[in-house]
This record gives sequence, structure tokens and C-alpha cells, in this order.
Amino acid sequence: MTPPATSPFRLWTRLFWTFLKVNLMTSSGPASVGFIYREVVGKMMEEERFIEAVGFSNVVPGSEALKLAMFIGYSAGGMGGAIAALMGAILPPTVSMLLVALAVQQFQDTPWMRGFTRGIAPALAILIAMAAWKVFHNGRRIRKRAVLLALLCLLALLIGFPPGLVVLLAGISGIWLFR
Amino acid sequence: MDLLTLFWIFLKVNLLSVSGLASIGLLHHEVVGRWLSDEQFTQAVSFASILPGSDALQLAMFIGIRAHGIAGAWIALLGSLLPPTVLMLGVVLLLYRLRREAWISSFVEGLTPAVAVLMLSVAWKLLQPALSLDWRVILLALGSWLALRSNLPPAAVLLASGLAGILLYR
Repeated sequence: MTPPATSPFRLWTRLFWTFLKVNLMTSSGPASVGFIYREVVGKMMEEERFIEAVGFSNVVPGSEALKLAMFIGYSAGGMGGAIAALMGAILPPTVSMLLVALAVQQFQDTPWMRGFTRGIAPALAILIAMAAWKVFHNGRRIRKRAVLLALLCLLALLIGFPPGLVVLLAGISGIWLFR
Repeated sequence: MDLLTLFWIFLKVNLLSVSGLASIGLLHHEVVGRWLSDEQFTQAVSFASILPGSDALQLAMFIGIRAHGIAGAWIALLGSLLPPTVLMLGVVLLLYRLRREAWISSFVEGLTPAVAVLMLSVAWKLLQPALSLDWRVILLALGSWLALRSNLPPAAVLLASGLAGILLYR
């Protein structure tokens, strides 16, 4: 179904608001895709283009929220749409973090901020570990070669290889290991 | 020059990571000791996880401010924004075609174990106090694990843990 014709400016404003709202509400990828779908498909673009844009954004590295904004924005409204969507997506995280960072800086040395940070560390560690597990197993069965590669990376890191290099080399070995 | 280094670091990290959390392994190595203490890094990642919106941008803001004030925040932000946007300008079309090439997915498959290991090393650092049998750390870790397994929202779990910390560490 073709969306009704609207002036580009109005389209951009709507894209801006949509992505602003999404980034104020959800933190997770899949939930936000659902929300954006409802806001955008039928009103600003066709379903087919939407699916294409989302699929496309999975190929490219980088933050999920930004990619979604860019590709869907571009698909719906060209370069202007992409920029409007991006600005909407950028505003909540940056402004809120700016406020938090300044507040943290103010209260850095109070005992309760210290307690807060020490308290959060174990929870964060568990969250990261669970995320690492998800990254590692990626929806598929774990292959022995992946485990081997992981062990090699661990060894490399313990010896003192810079992490960036380890990641890059792992990717390159992947080309050969996972042919 | 500090600002240039800051830009380069965020550019690099965002090229090699697919999500905010995945980037922390590399980020930790680059910024802790140079601009942030371990404690501040924990704060950065925690608040980035608690606040809604892109984690990657929030990390850039927090660390950027620490490193170089407001200018630092802008620079770090720019470095984080560049990979997705630059790629979109033309290289993305190339990647779209290459996506069908086997080697791209093999490359990503190779990156995965390395990223997972790096993430775990950060998690390990955060849990080290537990080794000295600090019961509070063990309690908080167990509590969060149970909460996260039951699918409670991560932001809430982190906040709760932080608040509990205020009480436990008085």
C-alpha cells in the first residue's frame, strides 16, 4: 500500500519524533523495531522497504539504534529523512547522559556514590557475562572451532597482545577457520 | 594530541563492535588508566546501560567529558557516529553486495569469540572483590543473576544493585 503524499518537511519532523520517542522508551533492539514498524509502515513507507532497511542495518557494524534510524530514515525520506531520524535518535541518550555525567562528577566523592558504584559492579559483571554468552553462542550451536578460537584469544590477551589486534586477528582467522 | 586520540579510539572501537556492550572490552583497555579509573569506567558502563537509548553514544559522552570536557564529549560522539554514517555513504552498498560473499560472515564469526572473551575479561575485573570473599559482592552477583534470568529489565536490576550497594557499604 502506498503511503499518502506529505511534504518532505512534515515527513522529516515525523521521523524525528518517532525516533526520539523510541529512544526515550526502549533499550532493546527488537522491541524498538516493533514500535518503529507501527509508527512508520503504511504511514511513511511500505512494508517491503521497511524490512529491507532493517535487514540492511544488520550487515553494518555499529549501534543498533543509530543504524535503524539511518536506514529507515533514508528509506522513508532520503538524506533529509536519515538526518532527521538520526537527530531524534541521538538526542535522548546524549542529553540524559550529559546530565548524569555532570551529576556524577559533582557527587564523585560522596560515600553514597561510592557505595552505589561498588554495589552496581557485581550486577554489571553478571549482565556483561550474560551478554558475552549471547554474543558467543549467537543463536547457533557452538562450534568446537569457536571454542578453540576463544581459548587462543584468551591466551593472546594474557600474554599481552593489544585487544584491538586480537579482535582483528580473530576476525581474519575466522575467514579461514569458518569457511 | 589528546582530542585526536580520543576521536581515533571511538572510531576504532565502533568499527570493530556491533553493540555498546560488545565495545567495552576494547574500550576498557584504551581508556582506563589513561582518562578514567576502573571505578569511573564502571559508572560509565552502568549508566549507559540504565539510561534508555544507544549505549555506544552514552559511553562516548561520559568518557569524552572525563577526558576533555565538553569538547571531548563532542569528539567522542563524532568518532562513534562516523562508522555507521560514513559506511552508509557508499561503502554500505559495497557491503550489501559482499554480504553474500562467504568471507564476510566468516570474518564476523571469527570476531565473535574474541569479543566474547574481551567482554568476560571486563566482567572478571568487576567481580574480583568477590575472590577476597567479600560476601556483599557475592550476594549482589547472585541476586542480579537470578533477577536477570527471570527477565527483569536490566536497567532496573542495575539500579537496584547500586541502591543496595549504598546500604551495604555504609
